[in-house]
Amino acid sequence: MISRVVRTVILAVLGLIWLVPIYLLLANAGKSVADYSGDALWEPGSIGALFANVGEVFTGTDVPSGLAATALYALVAPAIAVVLGAAIGFAVIVLRVKHGFFWFFVIFCGTVFPLQMMVLPWFDVYARIGLFDTQGGMLLIYSVVATPFSAFVMRNFFSGISESVFEAAVVDGAGVWRIFTRIYLPMSASALAVVFILQATWVWNDLLLSLILTQSPETRPVMPLLNALQSVEGGGPGYTVILTAALIVSIPTALLFLFTQRFFQRGLALGQY
Amino acid sequence: MTSKSSTDYQRGAWAFLGPGAALVVIVLYLPVIYTLVLSFTRYGGLADPVFVGGANYVEMFADPAFLGSLVNTAIWVVGTLIIPVGIGLLIAYLSFGLRWAGILRIPFLIPYALSGVAVGVLFGFVLQNGGALSQALAFFGLPGSDTRWLQESPLNTVVMILAASWQGIGVNALLFTVGLQSIPKEPLEAARIDGASGFTLFRTMVWPLLRPSTTIVVGLSIVNSLKTFDIVQAMTQGGPNRVSETLGVTMYKDTFVNSDYGLGSAVAIFLSVITVAASVIYLRRQLSIGNGSDAGRITAEVSS
Repeated sequence: MISRVVRTVILAVLGLIWLVPIYLLLANAGKSVADYSGDALWEPGSIGALFANVGEVFTGTDVPSGLAATALYALVAPAIAVVLGAAIGFAVIVLRVKHGFFWFFVIFCGTVFPLQMMVLPWFDVYARIGLFDTQGGMLLIYSVVATPFSAFVMRNFFSGISESVFEAAVVDGAGVWRIFTRIYLPMSASALAVVFILQATWVWNDLLLSLILTQSPETRPVMPLLNALQSVEGGGPGYTVILTAALIVSIPTALLFLFTQRFFQRGLALGQY
Repeated sequence: MTSKSSTDYQRGAWAFLGPGAALVVIVLYLPVIYTLVLSFTRYGGLADPVFVGGANYVEMFADPAFLGSLVNTAIWVVGTLIIPVGIGLLIAYLSFGLRWAGILRIPFLIPYALSGVAVGVLFGFVLQNGGALSQALAFFGLPGSDTRWLQESPLNTVVMILAASWQGIGVNALLFTVGLQSIPKEPLEAARIDGASGFTLFRTMVWPLLRPSTTIVVGLSIVNSLKTFDIVQAMTQGGPNRVSETLGVTMYKDTFVNSDYGLGSAVAIFLSVITVAASVIYLRRQLSIGNGSDAGRITAEVSS
């Protein structure tokens, strides 16, 4: 057994190495274009220059409109997916729809194919029916892609709830819709939150779909914009702005992760059912 | 009263199941069929598709860009099995039971909050010619300071795998930690009393008992690495001269840059076949509820 001290030291050293790229990100996002020197990349930056760069990102690039579009997709699409998934889980487990497992299996297997398998038809059909480069079109696809995972989690969650809950509600005269919205949805708040958080993170970080299905500033999310900044701003001093933009677009998901670790833990515990 | 069983709610049930099922079938399954059909046609989006039989597949297997992409994707699969899975397990095992385990794991989880594009931007900066890495090597008098990290194949693929590993290890460590926590204490204590320790204890006791987590992490790593797109697109765009492409990037290039929908679809089909085959490994486990595979909770998300 390696002693606890040695293990702690190994992990601490490894952890510090892991933080080095984060340091380089902060140090160079915190340099003004004038101070930036290709020979002194390891020098620390300053808070003032970082704020100046943040200002530059918000005034000189498309990142603000991209953040708005991304926020819309990352908030609305997972919410739709959560409701669709919960409804599927409710029908299969609580209402015991005929061939429920078959339908659940069909829906769940929607996640098996890589998105590359579907993205060309989406592009082709969207171009024909006028959904290409629209917010509605993006919301539809993000919602449906997120639905199978949502159905998976909600089915597992509902199968852990006693049947007597449903029977008692029926005895009390509640209808199916009322049982779903007033009893089952509130009961599963933590599972819904887990699904929402994980899918919002996925939508926020998506590059493939947004790169292919959007082009105008109102619809294009922030990840393809960040990627394009690399060629717009070029190398050298332009990196201060690009790295600042990379930092800005990462803050929302970082905060979400930080403040919802409790839900991550609870999500892991859900598997015990 | 209980005679009114759930089977009386079939029509109501379809109101709940219907919308989700219909959307999934229309938005996810029909495109799969459409891509399959397009892979047998010549099509560029403007004129109607022309049926050409298996010509796209013949062209694909003769295309040096595709063959290079295939090799790179294989390197990605092997690389992400060795590095993120291996080190993820190491971090979970070393930190397990330590007093400050939670704090010690934080540095590995921070990169997970970054997107693939942000990681690509950051490492593109670090690895540029004469960039931060080269300067550090020169400072310590180590060789390699004039290496062009992102220009030469297969070096560019290897360093991109390291960048992806930097980001992905935290999640693997988390999944393995959950797995370690669910291992029953008694057999470990018994083995310890019998004198097993260190690596022997790990190999004979921990590793076999950790199997449910390992299956999921390994399956997930394979599937995700097969689909690699973001980091490559952000760091090299598959270049120079398509030498660092993965199958995901090749499909994107063939379809949306070269407007060869037929060839792009053939690549998509090829990618799907191997991805689906690999998925079977962990989907079976994921679908078996109550099997102790609590790690399955976040696996589908990470893979989507």
